[in-house]
Amino acid sequence: MIVVLAIGFWAGLALKIGIMAAIVPVVALPIIFAELKLSAHMQHRIGPYFAGGRYGWAQPLADGLKFFQKEDLVPDAADKMVYKLAPYLVLGAAMAVFVVIPFGPDLIGRDLDLGVFYALAISSISTIGVLIAGWSSGNKYSLIGGLRAAAQLIAYELPLFLAVVGVVIQAQTMSMIGIIDAQAEYQLFGLEIAGNAIAIPYVFPQFIGFVIFYIAALAELSRTPFDMPIAESELVMGYLTEYSGFRFAVFFIGEYIGIFTMSAIMATLWLGGYDPLFFDLSGLNDIAANAIGALVLFGKVAILVFLMIWMRWTFPRFREDQLQDLAWRILIPLGLANIAVTAFFKVVF
Amino acid sequence: MQTLDPAAMAHISEVSVSVELQTSDMTLNIGPQHPSTHGVLRLVAKVDGERVRSVEPVIGYMHRGYEKLAEVRTYPQITALVNRIDWVSGFANEIPFIVAAERLMGLEVPERAQYIRLILTEMARISSHLIFMSSYPLEIGAATPLMHALRERERVLDLLESVTGGRFHPNFNRLGGVKPAAGAGAQTKKVVQDLPQGFLQDTKAAMVKMFEICDDLEGLVTGNEIFQARTVGIGVMPADRAAAFGVSGPNLRASGPDFDLRKHTDYLPYDKFEFEIPIGRNGDCFDRYQVRLEEIRQSASIINQAIDTIPSGPLQAKVPKIIKVPAGEIYVRAENPKGEMGYHLISDGGRVPYRLKIRSASFSNLSVLPWLLEDQLVPDLIAILGSLDFVLGDVDR
Amino acid sequence: MTTNQSDEAAAEEPGAEDSVGEEAGAEGAVAEAADTEPDASTSRTAEIAERFAALVDAESWTADHGLAKIRVSNDQWVGAVSVAHRNGMPFVSFLSAVDWSRDVAVGDPLSDENVEERYELMIRLSSLSSDDSITLSTDLDKMSPVIDSLVPVLPGANWHEREAHEMFGIEFRGHPNPKKLYLPDAFEGFPLRKSFPLLSREVKPWPGMVDVEAMPESAGPSTENPEATDGIDDEGATDADA
Repeated sequence: MIVVLAIGFWAGLALKIGIMAAIVPVVALPIIFAELKLSAHMQHRIGPYFAGGRYGWAQPLADGLKFFQKEDLVPDAADKMVYKLAPYLVLGAAMAVFVVIPFGPDLIGRDLDLGVFYALAISSISTIGVLIAGWSSGNKYSLIGGLRAAAQLIAYELPLFLAVVGVVIQAQTMSMIGIIDAQAEYQLFGLEIAGNAIAIPYVFPQFIGFVIFYIAALAELSRTPFDMPIAESELVMGYLTEYSGFRFAVFFIGEYIGIFTMSAIMATLWLGGYDPLFFDLSGLNDIAANAIGALVLFGKVAILVFLMIWMRWTFPRFREDQLQDLAWRILIPLGLANIAVTAFFKVVF
Repeated sequence: MQTLDPAAMAHISEVSVSVELQTSDMTLNIGPQHPSTHGVLRLVAKVDGERVRSVEPVIGYMHRGYEKLAEVRTYPQITALVNRIDWVSGFANEIPFIVAAERLMGLEVPERAQYIRLILTEMARISSHLIFMSSYPLEIGAATPLMHALRERERVLDLLESVTGGRFHPNFNRLGGVKPAAGAGAQTKKVVQDLPQGFLQDTKAAMVKMFEICDDLEGLVTGNEIFQARTVGIGVMPADRAAAFGVSGPNLRASGPDFDLRKHTDYLPYDKFEFEIPIGRNGDCFDRYQVRLEEIRQSASIINQAIDTIPSGPLQAKVPKIIKVPAGEIYVRAENPKGEMGYHLISDGGRVPYRLKIRSASFSNLSVLPWLLEDQLVPDLIAILGSLDFVLGDVDR
Repeated sequence: MTTNQSDEAAAEEPGAEDSVGEEAGAEGAVAEAADTEPDASTSRTAEIAERFAALVDAESWTADHGLAKIRVSNDQWVGAVSVAHRNGMPFVSFLSAVDWSRDVAVGDPLSDENVEERYELMIRLSSLSSDDSITLSTDLDKMSPVIDSLVPVLPGANWHEREAHEMFGIEFRGHPNPKKLYLPDAFEGFPLRKSFPLLSREVKPWPGMVDVEAMPESAGPSTENPEATDGIDDEGATDADA
């Protein structure tokens, strides 16, 4: 009996993981397409045009297929097992965050009590994936890229967490759903504002935290202006230099899933998540509430993703030491100050 | 209570010193195939982490021996060779050589031909600087200016092509003038075609776009805080150091001297036009960028003035059928987009030069690299390298 | 022949008349050219050449075709260059050599029998505020071309000397890094010496040597040409506007 139950549990888990692995990469495709198309228009290009018949909508799929049929090269000098493992570590870490992202009042893998903490902790694992990818490639450029990535991700982990602490203090919970509910309470530090007409997302009271988190998220994702780990003009392709074909595609998809999850966390913590804010979802039936909630979340994510793409195709790249400066001298003190101010208001009111 | 023995403490601290990490410098080969070396430049860099201890440039992957080849080519054939030295401004390469040969032969070039040469040279300068404007922000990490600048460069190349028939290698200069016929009727000898129809108007229209792209780049790149953080104060080259290494062109002017051969020498009638020589103050990467940006504007203004005042007349002086250059020795240099390009031509009266020393700008501009890159960070290495705006064909010849 | 044809050209084109005098000058021997072209730039060149020749205690100087050339002896070389460099000629344009030789594998041999066989090493220095420039030159022995390196006094000469070393086989005493610059390390021979054969030319003489480009029959003013295409009219209109 126990054995059967155990098998049932593991089978169920495998099934869930399988479904996740099949569905989650799909969220990366529209982001990849948006990046192709938006960057093209920012640069006076048309971008993908033919794949899929209209507007080149199938270009990300076509790219994926191209990656699949390419040769999977492993350098002689590579530490082969680690080299092969690294992409999955990055992808797995990015996908595991999905567990706590609420797409609707009931559309959540599991509403952990420590949801925010879990999300940030698990996403940090991708740092290890990047570091071992750089180290195991047996390539000096990869090594420098990997070390840069490690230094960068460690430095920006701190502002990332500090920014979240403000929200957590204000919401008095680490549960993702709890934070969304706290934002829908039509009040600010216990004061009623605007006569119950509109909920106040934390982006207003926690604006500094939001900005810090956004910058730190860009750094965590190695997006321009913080793309030194890849820095193709300096390090060829950084830790990705030796990866090709399928393994490169895994990194690539992992990166875009990371963009989605980071944006979703931001949307949840600061923009009210699935809550439309100006009307209450609780009056609707379950299916409608969840569907509208998911759409609202995707809309908010789309805005944040657009900002990221816009920045990537506008800004040059920082230098490694300037990036560390920004983290340790500006973002971390600001984050600490933000916590202090938030705590002060929380205690006073 | 046991007291600590100071001697033992000293010993312990010594031990901790001796177990300090054993580090050694890493040799990093940047190039010959690397996104930022603009071709086949190889830099053997000794790096300590991100810090570059020393750099040894290795060149010669593209050495084509033009100086030797020139000793077996007739003078009209050599223009086809020198086109390929600095291929992003092929037209400008022809000028000093052709002027050198003309001066030895004592040919008087018709004024219209000189104006056409001048217009096309300035177009080559704009095209070369627009390449810099596209590639340099890319090396700093901004990908978008690339497309903007290259789009405008395409206008210039189309115009060059409409006159010369070539986008990169015009081979348009002839001893005594310019190729008198381009396009239709070129081979019939009966129809002498001048500049193509509407060329001057199109050029004027294109120059408007050049001013626009300069303004665009100013907004997109120059004012960007990150771009400034990456370039201001980086790779400072004092003027005396630059001069001693023969660094010329915008790289030298960024360091302060207003040394522009267009003002000082008379290889083309630049004295008839008003233009300014943009100079920098600090000699850093940012100044080198800004000098080039301003030079695009000045070149566009020169072209506008030249179009307004271009005289009519023949395109070619009379030259003998078999070209022999009288014995003599001459050096003619010109302000090319990359800097001073000169040809030391020694003729002993034959159909081929006895010796043609090609002084190319990028060679000297690059020779300062080992000094300039010492103790820089790896990202700065790329920023400095890009700011020198070299072309490997111009380095290796 | 050059003169004759040019005279015809001058007869046809009044605008080219000025050039005849200069052409006659260019026809003459190099040494006389300075006398037959008494324009301002030539006298300026001569002035520069004379001044610097005195300054560096030179053997002789010439100033033809705007080229102020100052000859110094072998042992004066480093001193002369550094003196000139410090006295208003800070810009190092180039350093290179010429192989004066009658033993040629490619190209035309020297037509002048009187030229002494030697390597001529030259460096060109310029002012940064005007067109003033000088070319310092010294003669090296054909059999053993050796000279002191300029690098200790003029670091910018480094690559130029390496190039001259590999191309001409000139040895620079005291050069800090006398490796080959362009050529592979294992390369044998000195390519820019006149005795160095150009292999492709050995296999097949350059076909273009006899293929002289035909002259355009009439290169008259385009706007006066009745057969001119529409484009010319266009240009005319622009000129009128201007």
